[in-house]
Amino acid sequence: MKKSLFAALLATCFAGAAGAVTEAEVDASFLPYKNGFPAFPGLQAGLVINKDNVEKFKDILDYANYLTVKNGWREIKVGPTFDFPNPKGYVEETKKNAGKTKLGTKIGEISGFTGGRPFPEEPSVSDPRAGEKLAWNFKYGINWGDNAAVYPFYWKYRNMTTGQVERTLKFNFHFLNFKYRTDHPPIPGVTPNASNLYRGIYVNTLEPQDLKNTQLLIQKYDDDTKLDDAYLYLGFQRRVRRLATGQVTDSFLGADLMIEDFEGYESRVSDMKWTFKGAKNILMPYYKHNEMKLTDEFKDPSGYKFIDFGGQGGCFADITWQLRKVYEVDVEPLNPNHPVGKRVMHFDAQIFGASRTVIYDRKGELWKSFTIGKAHPDHHLPINKGTGIGLDDSFEVVDVQAKHCTTGQFKGQIDPKLSPPNLFQVQNMRGGD
Amino acid sequence: MRKLVNRGSLRPRVIATMVALQGVSAAAWAQAQEPAADPWKVDIYYENDTRFRGKDATGKRVGLSKLRNTLQMDADKKLGDGWAFHGIFRGTYDGVYQLNKDEFGKNAGSKSAADVQIQNTAGPAALGVGLLGPNVPGNPLSVHYGSTVPFGSGVGFTVVDVVEAGAGLPNLGGPGGGPGINKFLDPVAYGNPTAFPGTTAAGYGSGAGLRVLGDRWHSTTTGGVAFAVPVRPCDEDNRGCTDFGGYGDKDQRELESPEFNKRLDFIREAYVRKTFNLADGSDLFVKVGRQQVVWGRTDLFRVLDVINPVDYSRNNIYDELQDIRIPMWIAQTEWRMGGSESMQDRNLSLVWNFDKFRANNLGQCGTSNVILDAGCLFRGLKNLWDNGGTVSNFAPFVPPGTPGDVNGVFFATNFGPNQIGLRTVHLPEWKLKNTQLGMKYEGVTKDGLSFSLNALTYISQLPSLRAVNESGTVNPFTGGNGNKSPFSGPAQGIPTTHLIAFDMHFPRVNLIGGSMDFQVPKLDAAIRLEGAFTDGEEFANTLKPELYSKNNVFRSVIGVDRPVFIPFINPNRTTLFSAQLFWQHIFQHEEEQRAGGLAGMPDWKNTFIGTLLVKAFLMNDRLSPQIIMARDFNAKAWVASPQVEWSLTDSLKFAVGGNVKGKSDSSDSRWKWDDCRSCNPYAPYTAFADNPTLNPGSHGLSGLEPLGRFRAGPIGAAWKENEVYFTMRYKF
Repeated sequence: MKKSLFAALLATCFAGAAGAVTEAEVDASFLPYKNGFPAFPGLQAGLVINKDNVEKFKDILDYANYLTVKNGWREIKVGPTFDFPNPKGYVEETKKNAGKTKLGTKIGEISGFTGGRPFPEEPSVSDPRAGEKLAWNFKYGINWGDNAAVYPFYWKYRNMTTGQVERTLKFNFHFLNFKYRTDHPPIPGVTPNASNLYRGIYVNTLEPQDLKNTQLLIQKYDDDTKLDDAYLYLGFQRRVRRLATGQVTDSFLGADLMIEDFEGYESRVSDMKWTFKGAKNILMPYYKHNEMKLTDEFKDPSGYKFIDFGGQGGCFADITWQLRKVYEVDVEPLNPNHPVGKRVMHFDAQIFGASRTVIYDRKGELWKSFTIGKAHPDHHLPINKGTGIGLDDSFEVVDVQAKHCTTGQFKGQIDPKLSPPNLFQVQNMRGGD
Repeated sequence: MRKLVNRGSLRPRVIATMVALQGVSAAAWAQAQEPAADPWKVDIYYENDTRFRGKDATGKRVGLSKLRNTLQMDADKKLGDGWAFHGIFRGTYDGVYQLNKDEFGKNAGSKSAADVQIQNTAGPAALGVGLLGPNVPGNPLSVHYGSTVPFGSGVGFTVVDVVEAGAGLPNLGGPGGGPGINKFLDPVAYGNPTAFPGTTAAGYGSGAGLRVLGDRWHSTTTGGVAFAVPVRPCDEDNRGCTDFGGYGDKDQRELESPEFNKRLDFIREAYVRKTFNLADGSDLFVKVGRQQVVWGRTDLFRVLDVINPVDYSRNNIYDELQDIRIPMWIAQTEWRMGGSESMQDRNLSLVWNFDKFRANNLGQCGTSNVILDAGCLFRGLKNLWDNGGTVSNFAPFVPPGTPGDVNGVFFATNFGPNQIGLRTVHLPEWKLKNTQLGMKYEGVTKDGLSFSLNALTYISQLPSLRAVNESGTVNPFTGGNGNKSPFSGPAQGIPTTHLIAFDMHFPRVNLIGGSMDFQVPKLDAAIRLEGAFTDGEEFANTLKPELYSKNNVFRSVIGVDRPVFIPFINPNRTTLFSAQLFWQHIFQHEEEQRAGGLAGMPDWKNTFIGTLLVKAFLMNDRLSPQIIMARDFNAKAWVASPQVEWSLTDSLKFAVGGNVKGKSDSSDSRWKWDDCRSCNPYAPYTAFADNPTLNPGSHGLSGLEPLGRFRAGPIGAAWKENEVYFTMRYKF
């Protein structure tokens, strides 16, 4: 009883703090570089960081990134830092609701949230629940906006030692926010929504032959304490199977990432312990797609070209990196059987992309280095221009233990027509071929 | 149940759907996804499936059992206006008929009648008392003294006539009393017509190309009935060949390349589909053409997944259902209503299977996959009807005028045409009333419970054998039809029933059922449930005058999927455990202990089958070892099927595996069932001692054939079909 009272008091205390959020703080949240871009001695656009000079820049590299450069697996081309926008409606919604969101007594509980960035205030390491707030900011972050598609999306499984491409998978990924929509109708949400879903992800596998027509549907509840529903349609069985919870933390179709890794982190806030370690400036994979070295290997009929890969085994995106402000958070699974021991996530302070994640196994040893390259929407496909959504544009998950990687090349399209609500129903999976 | 599926209750929904269709607007998203028209997308695959089988129950190694080469083309095209076409075209060539022709091709089976030994338990006893004269080469009747006799050498007219005369039964004539009228056939070995003028010798055809029924999976000398079955392709030997519903009358070319037939089975699938956006915001999905419609949530078992028949001849029950469902011409509509205030998802679908009826392909006798060995039973029965044949251990060895003894011994007996066997196959013709209609409501509750409610009226894909009794059959004792003129014995006028002469029918079945799945977080598991209740299914039942009964059936499956980390297999990837338990309950089940054994329905009242799949993933899922195990608890039979699959590249995949089956030692006795030798259709000639009345009815004399297969089930009846295999699949 006493414990509950104490927790309630604590929550009230935090609520009071949240209520103090000012418009200036909200502006600072979306415009962290209003007063200038970060700098680091010796760092300038055009510089290439490699194993010879990496020690000089160790402080602006996360641990795994540092190791990959030090090992000579990759070089980092430095680009200029520039602002990444946020969608207008999302920013307005944040301002409107600033200070209204409160944490509940338990991880995964939240109240008062109606849209936008839930906790726009600058986090403090002295706040024991700051990491959790950042997790909420990520969960209700922009990601792909109200609805979008990666259409198509190529994954390659690569042997990092030999460079052999073992598998090439072609997908279509679709995303839809059922709730808290801010920029594309229906606003604020899709109705009816009896289950109070927050978000849906629908994946259709186009290639190779043995995986063709394998489909995945993830339905995330707004209530973070409820487990996501996940369904898999197996083309060869022509049957929808509900996924057991454990399969969400399992390799997805043999890739080096799991469903939980989608978009940086796909599970619930309540599945983890979130510890904010501080704000810092590190090199992040943010760039202008049209100015990168691109490849035409997939012969997209529209003429669109994809980000190219190189480095050791072809495991590393050939992109530029820029110095950006991030929030570093240690993320530890509450489930002792979880295959991951800890993630160190770096959330971009401006758009909350989880673009650099260092993953440790249960023994505490470095397991994977996870990069999601973000492209500025105004320098990508015309349909993305002006959307204000930083686009996931390339990814690499490097298993440093197995010397194996999975790479991803996106054709992201902020096109609501590609992701209508009926695509996110179980029945849709049964209705195809 | 009928109310749910009759046309009257469906009609309002069809009308509502049609009305809604009037409000169709442009399929905005669908069109966005699907350009007005685009080029054909074609994928071509080649697959080789090579299998070797070990020794069957005869002790002979089968050898090559499959060398199937498959060329498959998947074709897709967006047709414009939201319509899309999908087609799968498949052609196969199985070289086993050329490369192992002694087992499956034109040289299969016996080389002469002497190779086909039919058990004759009365033979040694008859020899002991010198019943049929001296056992010397000059005595043609001495052929009946063996414990087995060659095909065509059972007792026939001559012996029966002597027995009848000795019993003081009505004077039926015979060699000594004028032209006989009993219609049993004497063996050719008698040397007709010189030995016994006026009799008819068995005209069963060549003794080559035959096997004894069931010899692949059990001994043929256990005292039961058996008869010879032609096993060569029908162009080589057409005895017993008829269309049992897509199989049974195939020549070698058709067996080698089964897709190229009159039903154009090389068109595995060919349909068009479109999603219409309705005015109320819901969608109407339409899919018309040759297709598979898959209901239910469980693997291996077909509880709700019964819309398409299945081709078990391809690889028994062990191929993916996708590859063995027989696609049908079907119109399918789904009214996708989407969410509501209380449901997350709602769909109502109608399925109209307007194709001409197809049965499950149970495999033609003489091919490598004959599930339950049923195709051999049918071909053997058909041959018996058309040509007659020798049936083992049939006529009781008792003094003339004495009823048979179920504990006694029996002579192999030569039946003539039109006396016993399978007379006619009644395949449903194409008529509107023979089409099949299904309806499914599928939804997801707001708490995430997925469920479906299903109703289907369809024609059974499994045959039912109904005794034709005195309809056009020949009473072998009198030559009449049943106990009718010219018979004038004590049973005159008593209707003939329980006669082992059949017509094959495919009855209409009505089904209602449902399914659901949900997750159990505490167990880290997903649970799948499926159940169905049917009305109209027919089962063999030796207690019934027509030797079958209609029974309601409930089937259900519970499945549990749980991924488990097993570090020594893969520390970073779970191994999937998927377990299922199937339960079938037959209502109004009949089973009685009679003097000779169990009689009634050979199918178990309650059947339980458990399956377990353990599948591991290595090398980023490119290497996947797995084992599938199944146990039929009633039949006490099991199968274990280990396999390793290796994707060398995205285009090239190999699999190597085996299929090992077994049974407990007591299974044979558990599988034996009343074979209706003692059903007494023609009293007083067929009467048995424990019920010496003139009324037909079984005394329970039992054996493994013909009904033991239903006790053994598809696993038990294939327990001597252990094989290893290698497959290679390449995408061009």
